Amino acid sequence: MTESFDFKGRHIIDTEDFSTAEILHLVETADRIQEMGENALQIAKGKILATLFWEPSTRTRLSFEAAMFKLGGNVLGFSEASTTSSAKGETLADTIKTVALYADIMAMRHPLEGSALAATRYSDRPIINGGDGAHLHPSQTLGDIYTLVKERGSLDGLKIGFLGDLLFGRTIHTLVRLLSRFDVEMHFFSPEGLNIPDYVRNSLQAKGAVFTESEDMNGQLANLDVLYVTRIQKERFFSEEEYLRKKNSYRVDRELLEKAKKDILILHPLPRNEEIAQDVDDLPNAGYFRQADYGMQMRMALISKCLGLM
Amino acid sequence: MKGKEPMRIERINNGIVIDHITAGKGIEILKLFPTEILRTKIDYASYIDSPRMGMKDIIKIENVDVNHEWLLKVALLAPDLTISVIRDAKVEEKINPTLPEVIEGIITCRNPKCVTVKETYLTSLFRVARQENGKLRQQCQFCEHIFHS
Ligand SMILES: [Zn+2]
Repeated sequence: MTESFDFKGRHIIDTEDFSTAEILHLVETADRIQEMGENALQIAKGKILATLFWEPSTRTRLSFEAAMFKLGGNVLGFSEASTTSSAKGETLADTIKTVALYADIMAMRHPLEGSALAATRYSDRPIINGGDGAHLHPSQTLGDIYTLVKERGSLDGLKIGFLGDLLFGRTIHTLVRLLSRFDVEMHFFSPEGLNIPDYVRNSLQAKGAVFTESEDMNGQLANLDVLYVTRIQKERFFSEEEYLRKKNSYRVDRELLEKAKKDILILHPLPRNEEIAQDVDDLPNAGYFRQADYGMQMRMALISKCLGLM
Repeated sequence: MKGKEPMRIERINNGIVIDHITAGKGIEILKLFPTEILRTKIDYASYIDSPRMGMKDIIKIENVDVNHEWLLKVALLAPDLTISVIRDAKVEEKINPTLPEVIEGIITCRNPKCVTVKETYLTSLFRVARQENGKLRQQCQFCEHIFHS
């Protein structure tokens, strides 16, 4: 890992490729761009971002595209595999080599794990990983870090709860891995069988991170500064009965929040199902829509830095 | 077959003897041979007694030289093995295949969702380390899945 605040030409594949100082620099850059207001529209003028989405993820794609438009740049791309040449059997390598001729930077989402790293072998343009299968999703993770800093001032001393399906939630794993570099406490609440995977637990232990695991929040809720809620799908439960019996333990509503700190921050990667009641949306605690906005602001920082424009 | 190892080695004048193969893995090693090698005389004994290993497999191949890539494949399958090169009925050289930390190609990722499995022109890249229990830990550098052998 070479630490440098000159990101020009670098790819964003995995947050682990970046030092803590570099990550904090990205946070600072996102701030500086927001302070520029309308002038940010000059940053990427004349540049082209290609959004290559072999699998649909409207939310992530719109976030990247909005980020580029807000930097004054242009966007091209595709949003599902059936409309691309890969449906005609084109290799990932050929698609990347071709698009590298048209675009200055690429954001890609692909169902295969390791696809973004593979793509970097065929591109002299920076590539931002917008999700490679169930593997990594660094722009989401960095957006979440930016959200925590913006909402709480700093990460230092934060007590963060994670609620829901912690086994299959990719966003949780990379975020937890990154947070373990900071002075935070983490508390995991999940139904039996949907706990954090062994490799996440082992890496937390190896790093000496402070964390607890339990099936419900009762013991911890009152101490939490942040509650990160994840989608919990019916299919993940052992049976329909079990789902009905347990789903309320993994649902956040106004009644539950009465037992929490008054200023607890509620986050969610969106889209949500029933995990957060809509009556929470109007409370100042509901950070999940601001989180989507901060995610886009972080993507503005990533695009600007990788193009060497900031 | 039991206890007759020294005699069997003497039967080879030129070739290689692959010894101390994890019991039962010999058949997988045979599958790694290029077909032209399979046209020579091969002796293969499985599950024979070994003072050091309990049970082991042993393979003898006449009139063949070893090449590096092939050795590496073999070492990955059975990390404890030794290879003796026989010339004029004498052991000329004993080779303990050493594993590099990083192996390009050779290993195929076992994660069906890995990009290297579908986009087959990609050269696989693995980080390899021997664990305390003697097993090999292999981590795909694309999908990060970990396998043991
Ligand atoms: Zn792999």
